[in-house]
Amino acid sequence: MINELLLQFGQWMEAQQYSQMLVAGYYSYNWVEAIHVLTLMVSIGSLFVIDFRMMGWLLPNVSATTIAHRLHKPMIIGFVIMFITGILLVYAKPVETIQSLWFRIKMILLLLAFINAWIFNARLKAADGTWDNDPVAPKNLRTGALISLVLWCSVVTMGRYIPYDWVDCRNTTNTTILWAAGCVDELNALGG
Amino acid sequence: MISTILNQYKATASVVGLLAIIILLEVFQVRDAIYPSLLPAFEWIKYSTPIGVIGTTYGSIYATVEAMHLVSMATIGGLVLATDLRLLGVVLKDVPSEVLVNGTYKTFKIALIVAVLTGIFCAAGVADKVYYMQVFWIKMAVLAAGSGFMIFIKQPALSGTPHGELNPWSIRLMAITSILIWFTVAATGRWIGFS
Repeated sequence: MINELLLQFGQWMEAQQYSQMLVAGYYSYNWVEAIHVLTLMVSIGSLFVIDFRMMGWLLPNVSATTIAHRLHKPMIIGFVIMFITGILLVYAKPVETIQSLWFRIKMILLLLAFINAWIFNARLKAADGTWDNDPVAPKNLRTGALISLVLWCSVVTMGRYIPYDWVDCRNTTNTTILWAAGCVDELNALGG
Repeated sequence: MISTILNQYKATASVVGLLAIIILLEVFQVRDAIYPSLLPAFEWIKYSTPIGVIGTTYGSIYATVEAMHLVSMATIGGLVLATDLRLLGVVLKDVPSEVLVNGTYKTFKIALIVAVLTGIFCAAGVADKVYYMQVFWIKMAVLAAGSGFMIFIKQPALSGTPHGELNPWSIRLMAITSILIWFTVAATGRWIGFS
């Protein structure tokens, strides 16, 4: 049911003039993709500096909350640009993207990364400041930072897998993969 | 007299000397003469070395190494921005810039080594294609210039002396140069994928 709805939504987007214009223009699509990838250096780059500090791997002699608070703004600016360009990339190739297994895993990982960031921020606010100048953050914050690093590395990896066609709808007959990727027509053809 | 001046401006003299060598190599068309002889080496890397063979045979390994390359570039970006925006007085103004310059350098070097190693693997898998791409050679030139700039100019200039004793415009210029260099490396890398 959800796969059919997502496919219909993708087909509706694909039929729109601006979607076709975006994907037809060689430079327009490439510029959007280039900005999306380059903004990694601002968003995930700033996030990694914060996470590395929490783990005690970077700048252990600088207050951890100072690093986290001062880099918060550039990190958010980076993420906002990354999400806008990410939405445009999906808008340009909606059906192909919605039926990509890697894209779906990436979205789940993104959701988990945001839940982790929310919990991490809540813990950071709740923690008293006595540890602030310690070389490493308390264990619960270190765990959050490590989960953040793993999740964002996985998000980047899934994003890198999206252009590859190993498990595209037309390249597999495994019904579990077809269902997970939302390949409605191929599943129907197999009688699933 | 001359040796005193040269000692005082060792880094500047080195950069001027390097630029002069590059100009001379271009004037005498040395690059054009060497370029065709590099093709067999690129083909050998792709078809005869383990990294080339793995890169061309296993797409999933190639894509995973590409992701590692992106992660290392993101780490470089984060470190460069935190340090250089501090030098420009934009972020982390309550942290001494000397602490940031010295505290981020080791991690920067590790990220750079990972980026170079993963980049070699990625280039090896498509060596016969990147050989013909102008943007690949631009990336290599900027990468070499950026690494040289960081190791021989920026870090020695900023790590030995309190920043209050340096010309503020020299500091700002080094920060802007550093940001431009590393974002150019990343942007040209992205453009290789489109070419």
